[in-house]
Amino acid sequence: MNADRTNTLLNVSDLEVSYQKLKVLFGVSVYVKKGENVVLVGRNGAGKTTLFRTIAGFIKKGKGNIVYKGKEIDRLEAYEVAQRGLKYIPQDKQVFSDLTVRENLELGSYATKDHEWDTVLVHFPKLKTLLDRKAGNLSGGERQMLLITMALLGRPELVLMDEPTEGLAPQLVKELKDAFKEINRHTTLFIIEQNLPLTAEVADRVYSMKEGKIVAETTARDDIKEMVFEKYL
Amino acid sequence: MNKKVKTVLGPFILVVLLSISRYLFSSKMTFITEIAIYSLFVMGNNILYGYLGMVSFGQPFYLSIGAWTSAIFLAYIGHNPILAMLLGIAGGVITGFVLGPFFIRLRGDYFALINAALCAIGVFVFQKLLIGITRGEDGLWFRTQMSRVRLLDIRLPNNFFFFVMIIFFIVLVLYSHMNNSVLGSSFKALKVNERKMRFLGFDTFRIRWIGFILASALSSLSGSLYALNLGFVNPSLGETHRAAEVLVATLLGGSGTVYGPFFGALGFLGIKDLVSRWVTRWELVVGVITLIVMFRFSKGIWGGIRKVSLKIYDRDERSAGRCGRQRS
Repeated sequence: MNADRTNTLLNVSDLEVSYQKLKVLFGVSVYVKKGENVVLVGRNGAGKTTLFRTIAGFIKKGKGNIVYKGKEIDRLEAYEVAQRGLKYIPQDKQVFSDLTVRENLELGSYATKDHEWDTVLVHFPKLKTLLDRKAGNLSGGERQMLLITMALLGRPELVLMDEPTEGLAPQLVKELKDAFKEINRHTTLFIIEQNLPLTAEVADRVYSMKEGKIVAETTARDDIKEMVFEKYL
Repeated sequence: MNKKVKTVLGPFILVVLLSISRYLFSSKMTFITEIAIYSLFVMGNNILYGYLGMVSFGQPFYLSIGAWTSAIFLAYIGHNPILAMLLGIAGGVITGFVLGPFFIRLRGDYFALINAALCAIGVFVFQKLLIGITRGEDGLWFRTQMSRVRLLDIRLPNNFFFFVMIIFFIVLVLYSHMNNSVLGSSFKALKVNERKMRFLGFDTFRIRWIGFILASALSSLSGSLYALNLGFVNPSLGETHRAAEVLVATLLGGSGTVYGPFFGALGFLGIKDLVSRWVTRWELVVGVITLIVMFRFSKGIWGGIRKVSLKIYDRDERSAGRCGRQRS
């Protein structure tokens, strides 16, 4: 797993996390370089979401370091991590259902003081037609689009996405895949994904996780296919 | 309609209707004044419960802070009732500011109960510990100490009515503005998904603190006006049972809405006034009516009014559409 670490945006080293006495992450080390699209794969219960939530500041680590843009962020609150340009889109696809799409976006832009929605709405033009609709009435795919758009407000440098295509129709997955490629031109992405063909197509690098440990890392596209499809899943 | 116009127009219409009612039912002027004052109290509770989803059984404490601050000022220090009211609001803001960081860390039933405990402590403090100042259960009378204020002598009931209407209008406009602003959206969003707010970069603790201070300030303003209206305050004002009443009024009117608190106050005080003439246990009737409203109109009276008016509007739109098609 030794690799060129220049231009590293996020560096997690020897991370250990426990839920009370139950240890769930055992010395996890991952890194993400600027401009990369890194995918994390693994079975349910492998600790992928725990890793993301710890990086995002929602779970306090036991041991190890989380360094983002050269500074330790593991003692920061989740909102402070977000304010530093590291956004996390959780798996649950929960938007503020009582508010309209516009109000959801207003909230996102207020937190990051980025009021230029057009630059982010360009990835999902469909949202422009839904601005006055209650977010609770959106479909799963539209919600995901809204969540990604809200996360992109404030131009974060790194976005963590937890299973963004889960439960979506194939056509929507294709749309999101194209959007990821477009977003990745100016934003680094670190994605948890169970959709293996998609992973093979969009990932620059893949980490595989099993029982709270990183068990493999690969970069070559053929290796990705082999690792993801055959060896570890 | 323009958002800014809407923010002012609704409160304006409501206050005009109340002012007209004052002339149509002149014997009910004091009652209408009480409704407006109680609405402010419900508005405070509505921020906590309706917007932020925090149930508090301690709002009467903040009400009594405003009332006692104004009363003590007028009884011992000064004579200007408007200054007394401003001091009452300041008392609420300071209380919310100081207690907020400790209280809002608690959630759900803990938050509700610590406020209930505060209420009980408040009654004890005003009734026993500060008996030399508050005169205990006898209460503090100060009506004769109030001086005439330039332009408006609010010692006169008619003038006080219009003074309350002006205050009510200003607060309602600000409340409506808050509802439409990012602050209102962040209150509502916090109630739905606090974690998501933090992912977005919001300091949710600070937002909740702001809400707590606003709720406290509104309750104190209401307490202050209550004191000025009666010219008298006693410790029973802060008793815990009033917390249940204000919660019922919030639910009855429609929680998390701008006009819900007014309709809640109107419904609650109206039923109380009407039913207590014939039935001693008026609370039973209020309870039954609240249940009916909650089951039939989950968003309270104001939600029901909106639902019915939207149905009528939709029907008119459809019939207008049919007429248009027939003509064409």
